[in-house]
Amino acid sequence: MILTELKKGEKATILNLSRTTKLVQRRLLDLGVTEGEEVCYKCALPFGGPCMLEVCGQCIGLRRNEAKEIQVVRT
Amino acid sequence: MEVALLGNPNTGKTSLFNELTGSYEYVGNWTGVTVDKKVGTLKKQMGQLIDLPGVYALNPISKDEGIASQYLLENRFTSALNIVDASQLSRNLHLTVQLLEFGKPLVIGLNMVDVAKSRGIAIDVNQLSEELNVPVLPIVARTGKGCHDILNYFSLKNQHVSHFTIDYGEKIEKAIENISDLLHEEQLNHRWLALQLLQGNRVVLDHIKINKGIDIERIQRIIQELDKHIEEVEKCSLVRTIYSKRKHIIDDILSKVITREKKSDLTFTDSIDSIVTNKFLGIPIFLGIMYFIFHMTFNWIGTPVSDWLDGFFSGPLSGWIGQGLQVVHATPFIRALVLNGLVAGVGGVIVFVPQMIVLFFFISLIEDSGYMARVALVMDRIMQAAGLNGKSFIPLVIGFGCNIPGIMAARSIEQPKERLITVLITPLMSCSARLAVYSLFAGAFFAKYQALVVLSLYVLGILLALVMAKIFSLFFKHEHSVFVVELPPYRIPNAKTLFRSTWDKSKGFVKKATTFILGGTVVIWLLSYAGPHGLNVDIDHSFLALVCGYIAPLVAPLGFGTWQAATALVSGFLAKEAVVSTMSIVYHAPHSGTLTGVISQAFTPLQAYTFMVFSLLYIPCLSTVPAIYKEVGTRKLTWFTVTYCVVLAYIVSLVIYQGGRLMGF
Ligand SMILES: Nc1nc2c(ncn2[C@@H]2O[C@H](COP(=O)(O)OP(=O)(O)OP(=O)(O)O)[C@@H](O)[C@H]2O)c(=O)[nH]1
Ligand SMILES: [Mg+2]
Repeated sequence: MILTELKKGEKATILNLSRTTKLVQRRLLDLGVTEGEEVCYKCALPFGGPCMLEVCGQCIGLRRNEAKEIQVVRT
Repeated sequence: MEVALLGNPNTGKTSLFNELTGSYEYVGNWTGVTVDKKVGTLKKQMGQLIDLPGVYALNPISKDEGIASQYLLENRFTSALNIVDASQLSRNLHLTVQLLEFGKPLVIGLNMVDVAKSRGIAIDVNQLSEELNVPVLPIVARTGKGCHDILNYFSLKNQHVSHFTIDYGEKIEKAIENISDLLHEEQLNHRWLALQLLQGNRVVLDHIKINKGIDIERIQRIIQELDKHIEEVEKCSLVRTIYSKRKHIIDDILSKVITREKKSDLTFTDSIDSIVTNKFLGIPIFLGIMYFIFHMTFNWIGTPVSDWLDGFFSGPLSGWIGQGLQVVHATPFIRALVLNGLVAGVGGVIVFVPQMIVLFFFISLIEDSGYMARVALVMDRIMQAAGLNGKSFIPLVIGFGCNIPGIMAARSIEQPKERLITVLITPLMSCSARLAVYSLFAGAFFAKYQALVVLSLYVLGILLALVMAKIFSLFFKHEHSVFVVELPPYRIPNAKTLFRSTWDKSKGFVKKATTFILGGTVVIWLLSYAGPHGLNVDIDHSFLALVCGYIAPLVAPLGFGTWQAATALVSGFLAKEAVVSTMSIVYHAPHSGTLTGVISQAFTPLQAYTFMVFSLLYIPCLSTVPAIYKEVGTRKLTWFTVTYCVVLAYIVSLVIYQGGRLMGF
């Protein structure tokens, strides 16, 4: 399943990040976000706005269309 | 001795810098506060401390990160002070590993130990030091705890060069060796260079290219071969593989060093976030906060104090100075210069200091609390529609204080196109100097609705900036927009930081008033005092009136075609406050009372509003122009920025004034 299908507050493990934009991928790697990390989908802003995630003990904001490219599996 | 502060963004480098050098540099709770190299002198004259923009890794994406990497390559520092966020150790250590590989003396400042503790993370500092083979000093940069140990450490002469190597596996090690062999002419650590090249670090590659003796093509071939091999065997990229190797080692170290007492809790931050980044409330809350700030600035605190100051300046103070001048038998010329020029002009600007202090206090509060990154998140959707991303909104908010740091803040935006457009639109942000103009006019015409009127100007500035951004982005090739923002935990703003930050910004305002504005005021006054028929002429026959009388018809369609208004606008290019100081002079008549009184005779409310709009937009001030040039890099684009602002101001003011007249205002 993809990240944005999670419900608010649900947790999942990242399976695949490779379909996101290269630059975004690099930034996520900088923040320690890699395959195998646990992610919590916290909320999304309206009209296709960005979403908020909790990964590796920190909160990050990410565009929804990028988040849609992230594959996860529920834990 | 030169010590370089290196570390991840938002880990407290600048806080420590301020603590160790006794200076004040910009501190704030979001990533990308420091965007330039700052030099300070360590206490006890031990040497220099260099504050740098935060970096996650040494391969830069944004422009501010490039500055830090570039500094490292220059290799002038004697030792590095790596600030590490104790509550985010695993991510921070990736940078530490790369700095250790660099092979210069290094010491780790383990910062935010208070935060780590409150999250139940206990760190065995000695063990960490042993594992990494470098000294580790725990500190709390915000309060200054432990910072003394750092000073003590640097006063010892024998500094530790660490030997820390990671085994990246046979294939990679072989490639490192091969590349190192080709680098024998290089001064920097070969292993480090090789590893950075393998990671695709562009800055390092450019650095190597300068050295003609190095066979770049062979190096690139080695990298390509390795990359291909790794892809086949490991099923992931070379960069990833190196990252994983490091992560493996770091995790291993941390398992020996960290003990977690309870689950990490971000509950405080979570509960605030559930409100301020709420689906429906996010943007209204931001506007509400802005409105509240203006209300405090104008209706509740700032204006009453300013009015009192104004009364004091134009009443008792002028009286006392006048008497004083009489006592020392000053000539009428000097008397006129001091009373009608300096006191009226500079005083006219200084009276707004209370409002500035209130505004700056709130801006500092937003900066230090952690709300800034949330604003970026909340605004992202709107910014996206304008062809930008949410991070572009941070420079705009900073621009409310002063456009110059706002323009510089654009450096932390990842994508070049979005960065450039952000620089181009930031001059439309209503800076605090323009606030002096609003205070004057809104106070005279819209006393009851001051906050609302001023908010409307800020919002107008933002809306026009977005429209212009959209237009500009049509001229660029479409590039994929990038938006990843770190949302740091909220911090209760620190009283000391708040105070210093407010003080620092207000000081700038006062300083400008007493130097720049003062000089300008003297010139303006002289021009209003002298005319073709000699000195002490009637102001309507002065040089000023004559010259600016020619400009006045140009702005007449906007509703303020008087030479006085034209003069104010011309001098406003120097600094926007000069609009106010000039008006104080040109409208100054003996016994005419306060400036507010005179202004309300000279303008209609519609003209006043149009004048405010025009002042908001018409030109970036003189000190902003070089800042724009520095960021955009070409004269052409700098001229373009200045020109489009003037044209935009004219069109928008024309629409407002003529439209307003049609509607019968
Ligand atoms: N609780 C706590 N907060 C701290 C500590 N050190 C710094 N801070 C806060 O962390 C935030 C970031 O501090 P800065 O000094 O601006 O961080 P920086 O590393 O210079 O950030 P960049 O310039 O963006 O790279 C500020 O809000 C500080 O008040 C600390 O030891 N404990
Ligand atoms: Mg900093």
